[in-house]
Amino acid sequence: MTDADGDPVVLAVDDEERVTEAYSLWLPDEYTVLTAVDGEEALAMMDSSVDVVLLDREMPNMRGDEALKRMRAEGYDCRVAMVTGVEPDVDIIEMGFDTYLTKPVTGEDLREVVEDLLSRATFDSRSQRFFALVEKQSTLETELSRGELDENEEYQELTREVEKLREELDETFESMGAEGVEASYRDL
Amino acid sequence: MDASDHSSADGGEAAVNAGDDTDYDHMIYGEDFFETLVENGSDAIITIDESSTILYTNQSVERVFGYEPGELIGSDLTKVMPDRLQQAHYNALGEYVESGDRTMNWNDIEIPGQHKDGHEVHLSVTFEEHPYEDRRVFSGIIRDISERIERERRLERKNEQLEKFASIVSHDLRDPLNAAQARLSLAKAHGEGDAEYLEEVEEIHERMGALIDDVLTLTKEGRSIGATEHLALEPVARDAWRTAGTDAATLEVDDPNHVDADPERMRTVFENLFGNAVRHAGEDVYVRVGELPDGNGFFVADDGPGIPAEKREDVFEYGYTDSEDGTGFGLNIVKSIADAHGWTVEITDSEEGGARFEFRAPALE
Repeated sequence: MTDADGDPVVLAVDDEERVTEAYSLWLPDEYTVLTAVDGEEALAMMDSSVDVVLLDREMPNMRGDEALKRMRAEGYDCRVAMVTGVEPDVDIIEMGFDTYLTKPVTGEDLREVVEDLLSRATFDSRSQRFFALVEKQSTLETELSRGELDENEEYQELTREVEKLREELDETFESMGAEGVEASYRDL
Repeated sequence: MDASDHSSADGGEAAVNAGDDTDYDHMIYGEDFFETLVENGSDAIITIDESSTILYTNQSVERVFGYEPGELIGSDLTKVMPDRLQQAHYNALGEYVESGDRTMNWNDIEIPGQHKDGHEVHLSVTFEEHPYEDRRVFSGIIRDISERIERERRLERKNEQLEKFASIVSHDLRDPLNAAQARLSLAKAHGEGDAEYLEEVEEIHERMGALIDDVLTLTKEGRSIGATEHLALEPVARDAWRTAGTDAATLEVDDPNHVDADPERMRTVFENLFGNAVRHAGEDVYVRVGELPDGNGFFVADDGPGIPAEKREDVFEYGYTDSEDGTGFGLNIVKSIADAHGWTVEITDSEEGGARFEFRAPALE
């Protein structure tokens, strides 16, 4: 995790080089920003120093979905944000990302998301999973109608899992007396 | 419904005077009127007894179920029900006769029936119970709603397509918008060197404009055609070439051949195919328009790289493109216009190894 100086490492992947160029510009100077133009190149550049991946979905030579699957399969558990023009649908439930950003994104959007993801790196894996699921839940709730959600078994399953994790985490935090942390994830 | 209205009537006067004594009561006399109304109304009516035996049907059952009244009277009602519903029907009827509890709504329920020839018909049925002589009988007023259901399904499919279309269009606008935004940021940050970025922004904006034009063509015009004319292809093709061709490219149109088409839409077809050829085969593309060997249509061929067999289905889909500056809607527009004319479009290899689009229809000459 992070580079030799302890500064964050971000891997930005988009088939538009100007886009990743802009991401580098938008992110704070002390971050190391690596760039790749497709899924294949992203996999080749991936290593354990990467903290956050910004991943486009529609790319030639391996789509973002596939690249993400392979990163996870290779054991990389860094935080991943999908940054894409594709409207999210229930198929995102199965994907191993932490957050979903719909293009067009501004510099401010991007900085906030990356900072948020970096701060999550300090949580344990259960909390991280909780955050990721809550993000998916709210992404779908924004995108799909109530009726579509009610009919969707995968969404129902997701909701049940979120509730279960929420209860477990509540118990953990109560026993720790860590009200601040509890409040922070309730705000999500 | 109050049971006494007409079922207990045994004379003309009694039948029409069931309501309040107003002038209207005297405008119609005799049973003939009611008989005609019931027999020939657009809804089928079937009356059964407590054991599900059909006592009466009107003539309209034939239109809905294909049986004449004589074929049904005396049979069990399940004769006009799909097998899977028969047990439920006996249970519901038995329970109701026993306890008076209705296990379902009796008004306008949608339920499938079975036609004499075996196919299922969508029905809307309203049930009534009324005494007849000293028996309890049940009548169903039955309307065939198959057409409505079919219309609803078509609408649903159309909505799904629209939703898919909207999400592709929004993706295809979000992406360039994001790219333009990125370049503006870079231009601002780079001061002196910003001209290059700004030119790119300009190009992106042009592409977005083209996409919007294509989407409008597709949604407003693509699926319908105006009056068709017996058109000579050459002038239309030459006209489209002036817009879509390039100085270095060559268009050859074989001997005059004709097609029955809407001239405006035909021009759009050529423009999109020519634009496509220039994009994929290069500025110096050679394009040939000619008649199919069997005389049953026309083709547009180029000498570019061609379209691999496995992609030939996909290229007609919304938003499909391999090209940086294509909108992905051009060939979809071509297909829509061909469909609207009743033509089929097939992609094959041209003699030069490029792409060849063949348009075929019985109506073509």
